[in-house]
Amino acid sequence: MNSLSIYVARESGLHKLNPLTKFVLSLCILLGGLAFSNALAGYVILFAIVTPLAMFGGVTKRMYQLVFNISWPLILSVFLIQSFFWGAGTPLFEIGPVSPKLEGVLFAFKSSGRILYVMANFILFSLTTRPDTLMISLKQAGLPGGLAYIIVSTLQLIPQYAAKANIILDAQRSRGLETQGNIVTRARALLPLVLPLVISSLLEVEERAIAIEARAFNSNRVETSILEIPDSQSQKTARAGMIIITILLIAGRFLWQLSS
Amino acid sequence: MAIVELKNVTYKYPLTDTPVLKNINAQVNEGEFVAVIGPNGAGKSTLCYTVAGFVPHFFKGEITGAVEVAGSESSKSNLHEWVLNVGLAFQNPFNQISGAKYTVFEEIAFGLENIGVPREEMIQRVNDAMKLTGISELADRSPYSLSGGQQQRVALTSILVMRPKVLVLDEPTSQMDPIGTREVFGVIRALAEKGMTVILAEHKVEWIANFADRVVALHEGEIIADGKPSDVLTSDLLAEKGFGLSRYTSVARKAKAMGMWQKERLPVTLDEAVEGFTLTLPSPKGRGE
Repeated sequence: MNSLSIYVARESGLHKLNPLTKFVLSLCILLGGLAFSNALAGYVILFAIVTPLAMFGGVTKRMYQLVFNISWPLILSVFLIQSFFWGAGTPLFEIGPVSPKLEGVLFAFKSSGRILYVMANFILFSLTTRPDTLMISLKQAGLPGGLAYIIVSTLQLIPQYAAKANIILDAQRSRGLETQGNIVTRARALLPLVLPLVISSLLEVEERAIAIEARAFNSNRVETSILEIPDSQSQKTARAGMIIITILLIAGRFLWQLSS
Repeated sequence: MAIVELKNVTYKYPLTDTPVLKNINAQVNEGEFVAVIGPNGAGKSTLCYTVAGFVPHFFKGEITGAVEVAGSESSKSNLHEWVLNVGLAFQNPFNQISGAKYTVFEEIAFGLENIGVPREEMIQRVNDAMKLTGISELADRSPYSLSGGQQQRVALTSILVMRPKVLVLDEPTSQMDPIGTREVFGVIRALAEKGMTVILAEHKVEWIANFADRVVALHEGEIIADGKPSDVLTSDLLAEKGFGLSRYTSVARKAKAMGMWQKERLPVTLDEAVEGFTLTLPSPKGRGE
């Protein structure tokens, strides 16, 4: 699929769920998880909730690859910064002026758990949900059609414009534009590359507008959809249930904080 | 019976002083295939947009006169209702792909979704339209993975599936290579043979000569010739006004001046040219005649 989406097609039960159900589920995992302040909370959610869901969706390996690729620099820097720049605390060891603190390491451990589960949760959702089906269900739930169109078409068009940018790059290079070298040379090359791309894209906007208007984009009739989006009473109930549980968790967290 | 009627249409784009279309009076009959020719800036695209309702609904500007299709008037309608009367496809196939769909099948259904066609009927109509334009085998491909000719056929199908009464095509092959051109013209010809009313703005005169029932020549916003392809495409008036004509016509015109073309009518296509030359080629001098 020639799109920015990381969606992986599978015949799994998770894939077959209504996109809104997955959307609500992943929102609940995100918000509900933040209600727990225990240092292990993030890891528990990752291994006890998100990982089994990923196994259900048949995308565990891909999910962990992406989570690892995206989060390792972040987690590394969290550990370095929190342990070495923690103010007062128990020093683990000392080398000259440098002394990592135990409290800092523990805090970094807790933050990393949160980073991992939030990321895994979001990646799992993207791996199992086609953006267009999500937009159709969000539209049915009341999102304006124009906005949904912009989001989905942008995901598809960005790779197309990236390809176009490469063509412009080649064209300008073949006319002798220096694009490699020090930062000044590179900065100078930017304008002749960006300008043609931006101007041609702006000109294309009008044509694209005509093309979608020619297909009754602004019609005021009730829209239908070629994609069948599965939904059921039990999924609707589940969505309502998940929203209530999340609200209760967050409310409980605030009450607990107020009382202590 | 006239299905499209332009009554004294004059149009100015916003913020301009000179009209792009001047007192256009024309009729197109049901099932007719009319080609519109003219140099760049003659108003071909504007004429297409006018019939398709984008003038004045999309481009605004000042329009006088009336555009009627099947008895209803463009200025009294909405664009999203008018596109069900007149379908429009144009040059750049890439820009006609909506971008909101992942497969050709869904792309073609986009217009039907917008007008609220029930799903079962939609699937049937998309399948029928793809069969008509010969792109059924592309159904599951991404619209962005196709060649220009294929993309243009997808764009055409996306319009046809909405079943407009009239099809307006604004230079649909101008960005195609010869293979793409042949693909797209093949589809247009098949549609015309099925009785679709087609208005086609086009530069490729030899194709027009083979396909069109009628040719309308536009020059500086005015219709200066209107008639059978063999008459209009060979007329001296068009040659004087700098229209791009068929190379066969140009060659035969020179040949005529040199006394080598004896037929009264100039050729437009290769076949006509071959026929004309072989029949009347004078025997070479110096063979004792």
